[in-house]
Amino acid sequence: MIKPLSLYARFEHSIRGHLSKWLYRRRGAEPGEVFLHQRRVFIVPTHPGILFCVMLLTLFIGSINYNLSLGFGFTFLLAGCALIDMHLTFRNLAHLHLVAGRASSVFAGEEAQFELHLINRRRYDRYALWLDFVANDRPDLAQAADVAANATRHVLLSTPAQQRGWLQAPRVRLQTRFPLGLLRAWSYWQPDARVLVYPRPEENPPELPLAPTEQNDGQGAAGYDDFAGIRGYQAGDSLKRLAWRQIARVDVDYGGTLVTKHFEGGAAAEIAIDLTLLPHSLDIEEKLSRMTRWVIEAEARGVAYAFRLDEISYAAALGPAHREACLTALALYRMDA
Amino acid sequence: MKTPTAIFRSIAAGTSRPMSREKADTLLLLGACALVLLPHASHLPAWIMACCALLLGWRGWVTFRGNRMPPRWLLLPVAMLAMAGVYWTHKTFFGRDAGVAMLTLLLTLKLLEMHAKRDLFVVLFLNFFLILSSFFYSQSIGTALITVTAVIALLTTQVSFQYTGVVPPLRKRLRVGATILGLAAPLTLVLFLLFPRIEGPLWGMPGDAQGSGRTGLSESMAPGNISKLVNSDDVAFRVKFADTVPEKVQLYWRGIVLSDFDGRTWTALKQSLPRRSTIHVDFLDQPLHYQVTLEPHGRRWLFALDVPRQLPQLEGNAANASQELQLSASTAITDRLRYDAVSHRNYRLQPNEAPASLQQWLALPTGFNPRTLDYAGRLSRNAQTNVDLIDAVLKDFREQNFRYTLEPPTLGRHAVDEFLFDTRAGFCEHYSGAFVVLMRAVGIPARVVTGYQGGEVNPADGYMTVRQSDAHAWAEVWLKGRGWVRIDPTAAVAPSRVEQNLGSVIPRRVFGGLLTLDGSGNLLVQKWMSLRQNLDAMTNAWNQWVLNYTPQKQKRFFESIGFPDVDWRTMISVMVAFGIAAVAVVVLPLILQQQKRDPVDAIYQKFCKRMARKGLPREIHEGPRAYATRLTENASPLLPETKAALARFLELYETVRYGAPGSNMRPGHLSTLKSLLAECR
Repeated sequence: MIKPLSLYARFEHSIRGHLSKWLYRRRGAEPGEVFLHQRRVFIVPTHPGILFCVMLLTLFIGSINYNLSLGFGFTFLLAGCALIDMHLTFRNLAHLHLVAGRASSVFAGEEAQFELHLINRRRYDRYALWLDFVANDRPDLAQAADVAANATRHVLLSTPAQQRGWLQAPRVRLQTRFPLGLLRAWSYWQPDARVLVYPRPEENPPELPLAPTEQNDGQGAAGYDDFAGIRGYQAGDSLKRLAWRQIARVDVDYGGTLVTKHFEGGAAAEIAIDLTLLPHSLDIEEKLSRMTRWVIEAEARGVAYAFRLDEISYAAALGPAHREACLTALALYRMDA
Repeated sequence: MKTPTAIFRSIAAGTSRPMSREKADTLLLLGACALVLLPHASHLPAWIMACCALLLGWRGWVTFRGNRMPPRWLLLPVAMLAMAGVYWTHKTFFGRDAGVAMLTLLLTLKLLEMHAKRDLFVVLFLNFFLILSSFFYSQSIGTALITVTAVIALLTTQVSFQYTGVVPPLRKRLRVGATILGLAAPLTLVLFLLFPRIEGPLWGMPGDAQGSGRTGLSESMAPGNISKLVNSDDVAFRVKFADTVPEKVQLYWRGIVLSDFDGRTWTALKQSLPRRSTIHVDFLDQPLHYQVTLEPHGRRWLFALDVPRQLPQLEGNAANASQELQLSASTAITDRLRYDAVSHRNYRLQPNEAPASLQQWLALPTGFNPRTLDYAGRLSRNAQTNVDLIDAVLKDFREQNFRYTLEPPTLGRHAVDEFLFDTRAGFCEHYSGAFVVLMRAVGIPARVVTGYQGGEVNPADGYMTVRQSDAHAWAEVWLKGRGWVRIDPTAAVAPSRVEQNLGSVIPRRVFGGLLTLDGSGNLLVQKWMSLRQNLDAMTNAWNQWVLNYTPQKQKRFFESIGFPDVDWRTMISVMVAFGIAAVAVVVLPLILQQQKRDPVDAIYQKFCKRMARKGLPREIHEGPRAYATRLTENASPLLPETKAALARFLELYETVRYGAPGSNMRPGHLSTLKSLLAECR
């Protein structure tokens, strides 16, 4: 649950929004390795930092009132520490090198994951760097990372993929309060990374359009007849077919994986997944969704399938390359227009 | 239920396993809090200290066992009870002592109520306030050292709570804390020296800030007053002479003049006598300039060498001199005070005084000391002049088996009689008192002067230290034509000290500082002396530069570095300029910091950047060879000559970077790379 924002937070949020809009209005995705030079790193006091300033003022006034020479020294020492903290917080984030890494395709409705590389070419360790996608507006999903001196650290950030097609990585916010938490240094980065989002597989699809010929064992729905054991979960598998009893035995937190019930049976005939063969009552997205489900199903059951989507036409085949070509076609169908 | 053995076993297991991070951080915080509370132990009521220790222990136990924090309904009565206790002890919630007591309890109670990360900062801030409040009670070097240690501990705790993943070992985190403090130290120094000082107080000191129970001379002299002081090693004041340091026998630091004697106690002159505006003094030698740094003694007296030429100029506290040349400030001295003074050692003080005004210096109580009066009568019958009389008394003191001791026998009602004719053992109080009684009995105006005698020059910094153990009493007699003349009857008896306090390891200086015990035979004593001198010089420098850094001293400091007549506006602009410079010092290294990297790598980075500008950035997974392949393939939009250059560039880079060590490191590879890079247009 997201807590209602306080007035101050709302104000700060709006200021920050305007500021970042102004600062980044023309900055698109940055290809290659990005260097966080000092002009890209901003720094402001945190709430405890503001309170710290108020406290310093109180200590100072107290020192004046009681003529405490050591009090002056102490106050100045703390002020000096805050100033040093400013330097260290800034340094903790600035001069970092950033590169976008791999990102694999997902189905709409899933989380798209982006791999980001933080490269520290300095001779000091960086601690407690927080990364999150600005668009998510979910600070609780932020990832913390430490980057040792002269080392690289990979961080995985995810964002929900809603629409099929290319999904550009949202803008990344990097921030740190290390070492004392009195100041917050932050910066934005638009990584040059995108993932292909396949259409959402239909939830309750009709059976695969198997040719009704060459049936050799009755009218049973092919592919759903016999429970043939379990196999590893693959993206797009229906939740209804997860083998819950088996999953319950292995703890996912300790390296266990999701498993899906695997059925065999029925004819291993060729099928055709063709947009034009789908009922006209469906709208285009629903059709794409069903085709996506069928591609997954056919792949899972080892039924070779031909694929046709307007001018794109693939002969019947099986395998990851075929699957990917079909799904890509579905994802990008009429997207360039 | 756990048996004690089981608990012990779990504790032992807990120590062998790495402690959970939160546990370790909390224990560190508790340690820092204990360090902050430590200096308060000397003045807080015992029950509050016990309460704090108990609450800290409770928190420690909760943390160590991983128990739940105590619920509010349990903490609230504890807090109320503690507050009631503070009120019971101090009869108020306000004022310094009650406030500090409340603050300590607040801190320890807050530790038991810490839930969110925000609470950590509350605890830290409470700690900082507590540190400041400990300066009410002590601002010594020791306090400063404890403070620095506590600040390092608090910074380390603050850092420890900020880690999110990897948490370095405590040693490394302590180094982070110490580094922050170390980097802040120069800034602190500069701010301390340059930040415009405002003279307090802003809203008045609470009454309990006045010093009490401080050692020092008092307005009266009864047997035992000064001997108590003589056992105190506390510093009374320090003196810096402008050029020459007088000999020790000349160092009579005039303090309080005592006139009235009630048979047992000498007291200062009643203030009801008519006062005259001028004091007639003839100065017969060159003036002696010096500066006195007086430790607070809670009274108004100022001290100067016999006799002061002018009133010391005090800041915010007017000085005045009485008819007897005793100097005092208008308010009690509760802070360390520094003043310049000028004195003469050869002088004639009020030589033409009218006999009527001298009557008060002849008064003696009736019905006391008959034997002394009888002896005085005999003396005056035998003597021709007043000088003869004085000589006769001093001769008696010298020759009649008088001895000097810090532990004199107790005296009865006729104290002077018993001292002069029976015990014949005493110290400066006895001798000066008895001498003045004798003088008055023979008709010579006389009075007792108390102050300090001697002083020890510290070779470490050239400051003379006068301690409470230098407290002394002597006499002044008025002689026609010569005015008031100083006579030290004790010196007649004990030009050197006769009876030592042999139990003491610290070599006692001989009475009045006239001589110092010769410790040359004892290496340990010598070492101790030099250690003490160095410590003393350090303390003095601390006092002069840290504790006494007033707005005036700051002004003088500005003058000394070439900025005379610094006013508020200049000071603030200097401050602003300095602030900018300080920020620049912090920020400039970040801006100017060059990429410290291998030159070959730097060229490669430059190349990659150039290609990225052409729309062909290097992918993270691409090595130089794969990159070269992609850049030189047919689909690449680069010109053929560029392709050739970059192929050679990347090949050379690969060889230099990944080749067998030594085999391909031909000299000049850097310049070749550079020229190839230039061709990659």
